[in-house]
Amino acid sequence: MIRSNSSSYSKALAVFAAGWLVIPAWAQTLGEGVQAHGFVSQSLAYSSDNNVGGESDDNLASNLREVGANLSWRANPDWLFSGQLLARWAGETDHGELRLDYGFADRTLFSDGENQVGLRFGKIKNPYGFYNTTRDVAHTRPGIIMPQSIYLDRIRNFLLSAPGAATYGNHARQNMEISWSLGAVRFDADVVDLEQLFLLSDRPGNYQSDTSWLGQVMADLDGGRWRLGLTLADVNLHYQPGADLTMNARNRLTPIVLSVERNTEWYSLTGEYSQIKHDSMNTGTDPLVPLLKKPNTLETWYLQATWRPSPDWRVYLRRDEIYLDKEDKKGGLGGLGYLTFAKDWTLGTRYDFDAWTLSAELHKVQGTLWLSPLDTPLANQKENWNLLLLQAAWRF
Amino acid sequence: MGAYLRKLCLILCGMLLAQVAGGVEVIAHQSAGVNALTLAAARSVFGLRQNKWPDGSLVQVFVLADNHPAHIALCKERLNLFPYQLRQSWDRLVYAGMAQAPIQVASEQELIQKVASTPGAIGYAWKVKPNDSIKLIELQ
Repeated sequence: MIRSNSSSYSKALAVFAAGWLVIPAWAQTLGEGVQAHGFVSQSLAYSSDNNVGGESDDNLASNLREVGANLSWRANPDWLFSGQLLARWAGETDHGELRLDYGFADRTLFSDGENQVGLRFGKIKNPYGFYNTTRDVAHTRPGIIMPQSIYLDRIRNFLLSAPGAATYGNHARQNMEISWSLGAVRFDADVVDLEQLFLLSDRPGNYQSDTSWLGQVMADLDGGRWRLGLTLADVNLHYQPGADLTMNARNRLTPIVLSVERNTEWYSLTGEYSQIKHDSMNTGTDPLVPLLKKPNTLETWYLQATWRPSPDWRVYLRRDEIYLDKEDKKGGLGGLGYLTFAKDWTLGTRYDFDAWTLSAELHKVQGTLWLSPLDTPLANQKENWNLLLLQAAWRF
Repeated sequence: MGAYLRKLCLILCGMLLAQVAGGVEVIAHQSAGVNALTLAAARSVFGLRQNKWPDGSLVQVFVLADNHPAHIALCKERLNLFPYQLRQSWDRLVYAGMAQAPIQVASEQELIQKVASTPGAIGYAWKVKPNDSIKLIELQ
């Protein structure tokens, strides 16, 4: 949850209305070099236990919603300016605060028709795995919710985008295209979720980001029949204690994400695997300090098979696993080990027509690591649970 | 069901037309500084990952709807990929602010007209006539 007043509900509704009223054709003819695009989604959730998107436990919850709109201006062949406003509602973790999702200038430095190198600066989307840059656009997601192993919604607000600068390049070679980017950013670390994860509760101080690095290289082989990706990052954070007299903390995350996709006309197989090494340098008199100092490595992966019986329909099956500590996958914690992992089977279907997409998916989950304690307090979380999600989304 | 039959019919007609017309051609504005693109470069241009011609001018991509037979033919026959992949590439770039979307037009005739009248334009068509003021781009 971002620390800002949630009174921006009406602003977000204004964005929603603005997005709804425009028609797709308008998006293409806004003016010389100017384009607008946007998206809206609404989901419903029903779970056997635990809450997702509101009070979904044996109840139909409707507090899962996204609205976004962007503008871009191609000033000349070398300069592109882009910005996007976004509001998201997700149970107790997001209340529709309007945020600048990205806003940056893109300068092409070199281009010869087969190679292009450029620089982006401002608030830029963080390339992380296949999907992070557009994870809020329902049409671009592999399902209704992201595979939580790689795209943990509990740290979404932190991972989404960040102020900084990045160089990037695209290179076309025979039967292969290589894309890469390398950025120096300061993450949006002032989010309660990080304190929940690193310090186990919302404490008086707040996290801040030191300069962090994020690099990615993607290779499309044979027109994208194979896609291979590698994401590396070095994320440096520190806890500003403020009035918190007993805790001082520095945290360093060094993730590596391997991404592989096989595409054919009728099916796709997508898999991503990550290890995130986490080091804590905590000091202070709080009794939690010795416990929190223990380094851990998260191990996470998912594998999704998607079948397209026709261009409009898809059916997908996904296995998604996340472990807080790869050396201790069952978790100790005296019978509460399920708080430290989540294993999820997902079966879903999606229908696309015009600018719309309708989806339904069923989850059978063991473990609760990806649940936010803001939605379901740790003491109330149940180990084995099922979740049904329905979603309608529109874009222009 | 009627919609499906119409769609199927459209695709079959398109395939027939492709046989008669000899395949979809990549076309560009007459001022384009090249006569040919490598397959990889063409994929990059239609995938919005290269936005400049070799002479430094801006590329403007014109397309038809994803389910238009000429679009399907461009993807499968000329670029050797599938329409859903091109759509995914566009969405990932456009909604992250990293590229502008291609301009979608309603008909092949309109596409030819737009390419003929827009400097830097690239597109595709089956029914290119000798008097269309566009340049054919060979894919290597």
